[in-house]
Amino acid sequence: MNVMTWWTRAAIAGLTMLALALLTGALAVQADELKIGAVGTLSGGGTEWGKALQRGMTVAVDEINEAGGVRAGGTSYTLKMIMYDDQYTAQGGTTAATRLINVDGVKFIIGPVGSPPALGVVSVANPAGVIVLSDGYSAKILTPESKYNFRIQIPTEYFAPGMAKWLAKTYPNAKKVGFISPNDAVGQTLVPVQVVAYKAAGIETVYDEKFDRGMADFTPLITRMMARGADIFELDGDAPGDAGLMVKQARQMGYKGIIIQTGGPGIDEIMRVAGKLAEGFLSYDLFDPADPGAQEFVKRYRAQFTGPISGLSPIYYNGTKILVEAIRRADSVDVDKVKEQLEKLDGFHTLFGPVRWDGKERYGVRHQLVHDFFVSEVKDGKVVPIARVGHEN
Amino acid sequence: MQPVSVSMALPGQARQRVLRWVLIGILAAALLIWPLFTHDLFYTHIATLVLLYCIGAASLHLLVRLGQLSLCHAAFMGIGGYTSALLTTRLGWPFLPAFVASAIVPGVVALALGPILLRLRGVYFVMITYSFGELVRLLFNEWQSLTGGADGIFHIPPPHPFFATSREYYYFALVMAALCVGFTGRILSSQTGRFIDSIRESERLAQSSGVPVLRFKVMVFVLSCGLVGMQGSLMAHYIHYLSPGAFGFSESLNFLVFNVIGGMQTLAGPIIGAVFLVSLPEVLRGWVELQRVIYGVILIVVMLYAPGGLVMIGRRTLELLPIGRGGGS
Amino acid sequence: MSINLLVPIVFNGLSLSAIYVLVALGFTLVFGIMRVINFAHGEFAMMGGFALLFFYSQLGLPYWLALPLVAPTVGLFGLVAERLVFRPLYAQELPSMIAGLGLSVALADGAVVLFDVHQRNIPSPFDDILTISGFTFPEDRVVVMVVAVAALIAFWLFVQYTAIGLALRTVAQDREMAEAQGIDTSATYRITFFLATGLAGLGGALFAQIYALSPYMGLVPLVKAFTIVIIGGLGSVPGAALGGVLLGMSESFLNTFYGASMAQFASFGAIILLLILRPWGLLGRPEV
Repeated sequence: MNVMTWWTRAAIAGLTMLALALLTGALAVQADELKIGAVGTLSGGGTEWGKALQRGMTVAVDEINEAGGVRAGGTSYTLKMIMYDDQYTAQGGTTAATRLINVDGVKFIIGPVGSPPALGVVSVANPAGVIVLSDGYSAKILTPESKYNFRIQIPTEYFAPGMAKWLAKTYPNAKKVGFISPNDAVGQTLVPVQVVAYKAAGIETVYDEKFDRGMADFTPLITRMMARGADIFELDGDAPGDAGLMVKQARQMGYKGIIIQTGGPGIDEIMRVAGKLAEGFLSYDLFDPADPGAQEFVKRYRAQFTGPISGLSPIYYNGTKILVEAIRRADSVDVDKVKEQLEKLDGFHTLFGPVRWDGKERYGVRHQLVHDFFVSEVKDGKVVPIARVGHEN
Repeated sequence: MQPVSVSMALPGQARQRVLRWVLIGILAAALLIWPLFTHDLFYTHIATLVLLYCIGAASLHLLVRLGQLSLCHAAFMGIGGYTSALLTTRLGWPFLPAFVASAIVPGVVALALGPILLRLRGVYFVMITYSFGELVRLLFNEWQSLTGGADGIFHIPPPHPFFATSREYYYFALVMAALCVGFTGRILSSQTGRFIDSIRESERLAQSSGVPVLRFKVMVFVLSCGLVGMQGSLMAHYIHYLSPGAFGFSESLNFLVFNVIGGMQTLAGPIIGAVFLVSLPEVLRGWVELQRVIYGVILIVVMLYAPGGLVMIGRRTLELLPIGRGGGS
Repeated sequence: MSINLLVPIVFNGLSLSAIYVLVALGFTLVFGIMRVINFAHGEFAMMGGFALLFFYSQLGLPYWLALPLVAPTVGLFGLVAERLVFRPLYAQELPSMIAGLGLSVALADGAVVLFDVHQRNIPSPFDDILTISGFTFPEDRVVVMVVAVAALIAFWLFVQYTAIGLALRTVAQDREMAEAQGIDTSATYRITFFLATGLAGLGGALFAQIYALSPYMGLVPLVKAFTIVIIGGLGSVPGAALGGVLLGMSESFLNTFYGASMAQFASFGAIILLLILRPWGLLGRPEV
């Protein structure tokens, strides 16, 4: 086999591919179109989150465009959403953001969901001066260097203390909590925070177990948790599908205690998986379904999409509207002007009520969105908000 | 040791050799110059990724040529990546010694495990490497005090402040990839390469003709794992972040797919495979919904119509060109 | 160990084993007879789940009519895949493996496009919880075990006592000899693939019924099948049964007492040891 001869041919093949790659670049830009980049997971595990982001954003973009787009600097812009897949990896996030910024000329990015891709996107977008409104629980997403990135999902350290206190007050007999969470960045990051919050509320952690993603049979873990005498089963960190299975299996095994998901709202999906066994399930929730704004969102969502509404969709719906409001107030699409207005958005009324920024002490930058939240309960197959809880700080 | 075939070249082959070097020169010049004509960091970014994956694909090619299909190649990439990331972020080592360590540590692990793993062949080797790869990924994920767990390691510095953006890093990656792939090519075209091929064809025959088969296989395994460890380090210092998710089964499978789709007979195969498959998702990005379906169908179609890989298609096409003639032996 | 823990652990282990054996059987069959490592095996299990959803939840057929329809339906899809993807690649171990991988990606992500990505629940007609001397047993798991055992017995009788079964066994043992005796190997391949994908589909339907259904659910059955055939021996049918029970029971025990991560470490460690000491598995035959 003559190896080197094939090298020469490979050389020609390489050159041809290179030429083709260069030709595919250069897209025309329309003047009255404002491109909003979106990054989310659209393949493999995590696709649910990417789809949720895509849908929430689509609803917001359509709503804004129907109302005539956004006016800034005398021009009326129609929003155009461009979304790329991050494959739930840092490298995927980096690639998607690089493409959005350099090929599509995007100045504003919404997403991604999850720490690895979020870190990837942020590491590209900050030096390039592109605004990012993302998710991701990692403490490293917001740092003093985060000039342009904001976090629009409330992280555990904000809601856990309030939720634990509410639980201790409402159910004074419940003293032992058990956790079953995924062995990924989500589970590993937020369970320690939850343990501290529960402890402060006088509730002891008796079981803390992590599972590898893809596991479907949680009964051995639940058996053990029940043997340890847990009377609160905390599902924080679990994807809604997994959480639904846990609710179903725990009830099938005769677990009688409280089941609550503090954080990561996904009641709709959990109810679909657990069916009538979801009765009495408690969850952190972001908005009151009776609110007219919420009803408008749900109506628009249902008009376009079927299936359960992911808890993430309203977050990115909200994020898109926050960004557009900042553009409107800045009366410009200049990144620095928009960023300035974004930072001044405190008190702006959204789907989740009035929002404000926080995080100076915790992260060294005031780029963390905070707002009130609810505890909802499943009663007779319906989601009912039962308490409004303020965040700590 | 026999002298390498170059010295025995006939006049007709000599002319071809000149042509070959001219073409390699043109390719090298093109690879060096093209980034100067684009302001677009995206293309240099993708090109950088392609170059880095060429290292891993070429290194796995050594094992493929040996007839040992490893499904834990990404684990060794991870060991290299973590080694260099931890040495630079935790112990404050400069890049260069950390980079050297990123080849040595996976190499040492391969040296320790090789004699056990490489006794197995065929599908059994596939299965044991699969299990070992998953074990390593679990270890990255579980050993939180060392690896940072699933959250990974942040703020991994660039090799040098000069290589902070993808355009500069591209040149760095180009040099490293050229060295690694060139090294692999040298091995394959030397006496060692002939031993490798003879082991693949028949281990017993090689053994009886005096090749110390197991020791030889372990040596190739060590080189292969050391090289892919270097890719791990180069990736980590380019993306500035790493986490266990990037070194699992699917990434190991990717390396194998590069080889199979490109072609397993020559070193050009994995290179073409890596170029094609790393840039393919970027070509498909317009079809967000269907990109993975198309990817799957492409894998099937290539296997059905060119089971020898893309090299086969390329070979058939190039044989229609004048330069392709005369070399056949 | 208290009996209070032991009973649920064993019950759970058995219900897991039942599904595992169904899925692994097809995987090992395809390898044993066709020498193909079918990476898309898990996707046929996923199809089984969606087939049950369609027949039972959407068409509203009675459960005992819908469930038996699942296996042949998935089997037919299996035949199409066999014709288009695997048949041209027989005896080419690696290309068929990569083509199978492509099929797996295309099917899973095709299902995302067709059915959306969220997890679903197939409302079970057996949602009672049986209580026997203080222990609770979800009724649907009992049903799943009964169905799986019935399917396995039917499969065993088919292979043992029919002419087609004899042909399958002959080809598995020695393809050339089988061909010399006039057995149409290409036909046996088709039957093998139909059976294998059908069994996977049934396993997937049962999995979907007690757990959940989603386009990416195929990965877990594939990984389990892979593990089981390593334990039992690649290509060995009794090995798949033994491996399935061993895996199901050990998962149930280890997860309960040592947690999920330890269980994972232990299972991969055990597999590596087994491969080093006895690569052909507990019940397989060493290759000459």
